[in-house]
Amino acid sequence: MTEQESLAMISEMIAKAKTSYHDTGAGSILWGTIISFCSLVTWAQIHFQWSIPFDIWLLTLLAVVATIYWSARDSKRRKVKSYDQTAMDYTWTCFGIAIFLVVHANAGTRNAFNDLKDSIEAAGLSRPSISFSDYAPAYLLVLYGIPTLVTAGIKNFRPMLIGGIVCWVSAVLVVYVDSETDMLLMALSAIAAWLIPGLVLRRRCAKRKEAADV
Amino acid sequence: MFNDLDPILHSQLRLAVMSLLISVKEAEFTFLKEKTNATAGNLSVQLTKLKEAGYIEIKKQFKDNYPQTLCSITPKGIDAFEKYVKDLQAYLKIGAP
Repeated sequence: MTEQESLAMISEMIAKAKTSYHDTGAGSILWGTIISFCSLVTWAQIHFQWSIPFDIWLLTLLAVVATIYWSARDSKRRKVKSYDQTAMDYTWTCFGIAIFLVVHANAGTRNAFNDLKDSIEAAGLSRPSISFSDYAPAYLLVLYGIPTLVTAGIKNFRPMLIGGIVCWVSAVLVVYVDSETDMLLMALSAIAAWLIPGLVLRRRCAKRKEAADV
Repeated sequence: MFNDLDPILHSQLRLAVMSLLISVKEAEFTFLKEKTNATAGNLSVQLTKLKEAGYIEIKKQFKDNYPQTLCSITPKGIDAFEKYVKDLQAYLKIGAP
């Protein structure tokens, strides 16, 4: 083997390893759809003053089950573990856990706020109109932005960079707008951060499959 | 002064395996076989040579009741690969017109 052949072999194998795994975008599409749908239904409930007999956000639990199933199936099929993919797996798993911890903390804070308002009312003063729910989405949006921007950086994926920025700009805005608008910003963020990038990934994946079949 | 190219790495299949493993955290035997187009027997022999040199780690386990062989590059393997590439570059610089 000559030196040139060695170098060509190294380049070829590194390129083969790089293209060994591709995200189909299914997870991003699922979460982008679920979060934007739940946000829009919540917005409609506030705006049109109607209610549904269950909490629409429970749909996220179904998405969690689907995500766990897909991840398990994917890891069984995967013949190679790249450094990028390992970093992604850790980032998104930590994000999933962090979301539930923040939702739990927000629920506790909301209850404490309500108790305080009850006490103020019981003392004969007028019930404060301030609501913790007006600010709670900010914490979620800050979290939405972190894994999205980390993924954008590691994968050099521009649609998620834009999506992550939309999440953080929305996190600033929700502090100044009412809870009805908060839900529209949540829906916009989920669409920008996950649904659109997911569709881009799916299109790229389909194109690669098409090229491989030719 | 030229350094002699590492004879362990200066072989087509072993270099291909090391080039694949340098880019990933770990890879299954079947992945290496598929990407290098080698036969299972030849690949197995070359992996053993790389393992004996301390360049790779081979982990054997069961996955869904089937045996699974996982390979990963060691820090010694990374150093050897980097040195091989540097030596190669030195040869190519001198050889260039």
